[in-house]
Amino acid sequence: MNPFLVIPVLAQARFRPEFIWENRDVFLGGVRLTVFIAIVAFALATVLGLGVALLRMSKNRLVAPIMAAYINIFRAIPLLVFVVFVYYGIAIQFDVRISAIQAGILVLTLQYSAWLGEIFRGGIQAVSDGQTQAALSVGMSRPQTFFRVVLPQAIRIVIPPTGNMFIGMIKDSSLVFIIGVPELFRVSSVMANRTFRYFEVYLGAVIFYLILTTAAYFGVKYLEKRFALVDVLTTRVRSPLARRRGVRLRMIQEAVASERESKSSGTATAL
Amino acid sequence: MSQPNGTSRPVVQLRKIHKSFGANHVLKGIDLTVGQGQHVVIFGPSGSGKSTLLRTANLLETPDSGSVWFEGKEYGAGIEGEDLPRGKARLLRQQIGMVFQQFNLFPHITALDNVALALRRVKRIKRDEAEHKAATYLDRVGLLDKLGAFPSQLSGGQQQRVAIARSLVMEPKVMLFDEPTSALDPELVGEVLAVMRDLAESGMTMVVVTHEMGFAREAGDLNIFMDEGVVVETGGRELYDHAREPRTRAFLQAIL
Repeated sequence: MNPFLVIPVLAQARFRPEFIWENRDVFLGGVRLTVFIAIVAFALATVLGLGVALLRMSKNRLVAPIMAAYINIFRAIPLLVFVVFVYYGIAIQFDVRISAIQAGILVLTLQYSAWLGEIFRGGIQAVSDGQTQAALSVGMSRPQTFFRVVLPQAIRIVIPPTGNMFIGMIKDSSLVFIIGVPELFRVSSVMANRTFRYFEVYLGAVIFYLILTTAAYFGVKYLEKRFALVDVLTTRVRSPLARRRGVRLRMIQEAVASERESKSSGTATAL
Repeated sequence: MSQPNGTSRPVVQLRKIHKSFGANHVLKGIDLTVGQGQHVVIFGPSGSGKSTLLRTANLLETPDSGSVWFEGKEYGAGIEGEDLPRGKARLLRQQIGMVFQQFNLFPHITALDNVALALRRVKRIKRDEAEHKAATYLDRVGLLDKLGAFPSQLSGGQQQRVAIARSLVMEPKVMLFDEPTSALDPELVGEVLAVMRDLAESGMTMVVVTHEMGFAREAGDLNIFMDEGVVVETGGRELYDHAREPRTRAFLQAIL
């Protein structure tokens, strides 16, 4: 019997949405690995990206062009090609002992560090030069100026684009399926080829990716809110931390006001 | 409050300051001595180098050559032929306050934290003490009720007063003002000038780059007219009515 005939026959079978639910453990296994890869690669890429951004802004005539080249190279290679090249082309060919998962994380980290590096550089450069001058003018050191004044402002600027990149990372992590990493897309396609339930399986994959990226979206929104600037003295604040800060500020206010009063009444009696 | 030019003990001395930006020779060998408690006003057309000169006094701008003397130490690039030990710019800046045209408050922290930041990070004062001291200085500029406000929630005049408090809290020996009222709406200029007048009366040594001729006339012990990178003319209060140099007279006529 021609095996190819089986496919159209099965494809006409009744749509069974419960198939997704019945195989939830398989999907969730893939989800777990997708989340792991995305988070680990993104964390590494963030650290590396900050380094890339700082070195890219270096005044050293050798360092800056090297970092520009780093960014251009890792940004330019198609991720799928890059994954295959690193794992099959380098790791297997030259017997470098890294697992497919490690290779996948390495490739995602390198490419995303280039993207993030440019985002971070933009954020840092968007903080006005006057900020640096003001910080220096009160005697702060260069590192203090960077970490206390420039970086906190840059972080607020880069949260939205960095959030976009994280959502992109969740999606791009599917490309490591090609080297056999059993993440969400890989387990889905294996399942589909085994059961011929293409529609249900890939619908399931789509749903799980949507759930992941939606969660990431709300995470980014939370961060934006968390970093928003609120006057705890004039705004109703809900978080206990902000409330305590409000109480503190009020105490300082009252202490200083009463000091001023006792001083002026002191001079009044002296007169 | 008015010492005649040059009789008081010098606090800052700029010697033979040269500075170029590319082909543009902005400062052409400026000498300036600021005495204890003296109020120096620098004025002149835009591009004359007055802001650059002010910024070399705390080495925010490093002179190409020339020396900044402060309290017995030499800072900056130095003068050819002289071989004196140089002090660190950071230590100089800790003793000289600066107020900017654009305020340059840190927008991501409250007014209180703006003032307390350097106390905590530079002077390493504990948080409670630093915040209390910062609040005292905010009270001094009339902003005790704005402790928790962020710069974006303050008017320009309030922001500039916070900026003044941020500098004063470090207890500098000299205060530099770089066109402190030029970015303000006209109705907000008064409150900033009032704070500056108080400060002048308290005996603070001040160097002010300004176009506020009213303030200059009443506070300026030493008045300096600059044009094209050189000091054209210096004098006491009489300078504004009896300038000798035609260039000074032309400028004063144009702006008064």
